[in-house]
Amino acid sequence: MVHKKILHGLDGSKGSFSALEEAIDLAKRCGAELHTVSVEEVPHYPGTVGEVIEAKQAANGKYGKAMHQARDMAQQADVELHCHVFTGHEVKTIVEFVKEKGFDLLVIGFMGHSALYERVMGSTCQSLVRLAPCSVLVVR
Amino acid sequence: MLESPWLIAALWIGLALLASMISIRVGISVALIEIIVGAVAGNAIPWVGSLFSTQAKLETMPWINFLASFGSILLTFLAGAEIEPDVLRKHWKPSLAIGFVSFLAPFLGTMAAAYYLLHWSAQASMIAGVALSTTSVAVVYAVMLETGLNKRDIGKLILASCFVTDLGTVLALGVMFANYNWWLVLFLGVSAVIMPFAPRLTQWFLRRYEGQVSEPEIKLLLLMLFVLGGLAAAANSEAVLPAYILGLVVAGVLRHHKETVYHIRVAVFALLTPFYFLKAGALISGSAIAQSALVILLLLLVKVAAKFVGVYPTAKLFKMDNRVSMYTTLLMSTGLTFGTISAMFGLNRNLIDSSQYSTLVVVVIASAVVPTLIAQKWFQPQHELSEENADGA
Repeated sequence: MVHKKILHGLDGSKGSFSALEEAIDLAKRCGAELHTVSVEEVPHYPGTVGEVIEAKQAANGKYGKAMHQARDMAQQADVELHCHVFTGHEVKTIVEFVKEKGFDLLVIGFMGHSALYERVMGSTCQSLVRLAPCSVLVVR
Repeated sequence: MLESPWLIAALWIGLALLASMISIRVGISVALIEIIVGAVAGNAIPWVGSLFSTQAKLETMPWINFLASFGSILLTFLAGAEIEPDVLRKHWKPSLAIGFVSFLAPFLGTMAAAYYLLHWSAQASMIAGVALSTTSVAVVYAVMLETGLNKRDIGKLILASCFVTDLGTVLALGVMFANYNWWLVLFLGVSAVIMPFAPRLTQWFLRRYEGQVSEPEIKLLLLMLFVLGGLAAAANSEAVLPAYILGLVVAGVLRHHKETVYHIRVAVFALLTPFYFLKAGALISGSAIAQSALVILLLLLVKVAAKFVGVYPTAKLFKMDNRVSMYTTLLMSTGLTFGTISAMFGLNRNLIDSSQYSTLVVVVIASAVVPTLIAQKWFQPQHELSEENADGA
């Protein structure tokens, strides 16, 4: 299957960088556009504006570093990478972005949680596989 | 029963640490989780003690009460200092109108409901009115950030209106229960001297001393807060009133000194607010909540309905469409920090009892969650995803 627009979910974890390697490889082979999306989550129902500002600044720093690393990886493979950062709920934001920009493949890293955590909270990975309106590749 | 202050401190900080870890894991604010952890610990410790036939409780010592009060004062100061004076100036007419009715309608509505329907005393009803008139600027700000509305005029207008509502709340708290005596005259007189000069004095101090390891500029702000807070308390008013107004007054100066604000925030979040929010939770009585589920529902409905009566038509008056007016109204129905501060003020002064306090705090927490969920699910104004630039990207 030839993909034209690939979106990769970048959260700075080891798993997401493994997925990026796969996404870069796929983009190169298919000649596809490659984008990464990072979503900063601010705390829900905060008690102070400061709490939100601090969380956002921390996320900015984290994703700034991750994007530098991602761009370096893409550059080494001679692939152009477009990076996007949003604030909001991870799953909702990525699904909306996929719909809005018409990506045909979403590549995400597998993030292991305990069985209990996944049973209670579900996982971002599971939710994206269920809700994304395109094919989803989960890289272990 | 713990007697060593170090062990008591260890227990409280341990709970604060637990709350921080849970907050990071579940993505819900540490303030809300601290209230919940405080409530669980406050109710579970006596229950566990009863299993072993001993009297146990989450100890609150005078110094814990002081740290908690100090935390609430600095929280209020920071809340005032977070306003953007230019935004308030630009949207002063609609924000004043929307903010004022957003305070007045729920204040009168919930006060009347508490007095006539629940037969609370007049003073307890007034506390209910104040606690449930609030709007959570922080909750609204987080939603705005997620939707990207914080950069648009409508978002800025809503935020400015929230500040006006909270000003109404602290004014009511400071004025309604004060003793009208010479202490009040002295408090007003000193405030009238300090407030107009505070921005220039703070600016001068920051220019002269910012960056010193002993943080003299923070000590200056604390000095003003303590003097004004002390005089307010002597007049039986509330120290959060001058704290909020001082924050508003120096907001324009502190906007250009983010490092100083950051240092204040670090001290407040690490050392003071955990005691405040944990205590706010620890004072909640589980059995009282179970018995007053219908009262909680009634007060929540009255609060939201009163916000609709006040905010919705005013928003329409300023030419917002139906969807934006609904969204504005729902966001302005949220509440958290100022609501708990008002309820604790009432409890500390015996204006309300433990059961009424528990009811009010649960309504306040519910009002942070329920209107936000409804607003985001059904009334979010149409917009494109708002893209951010991460530092260094």
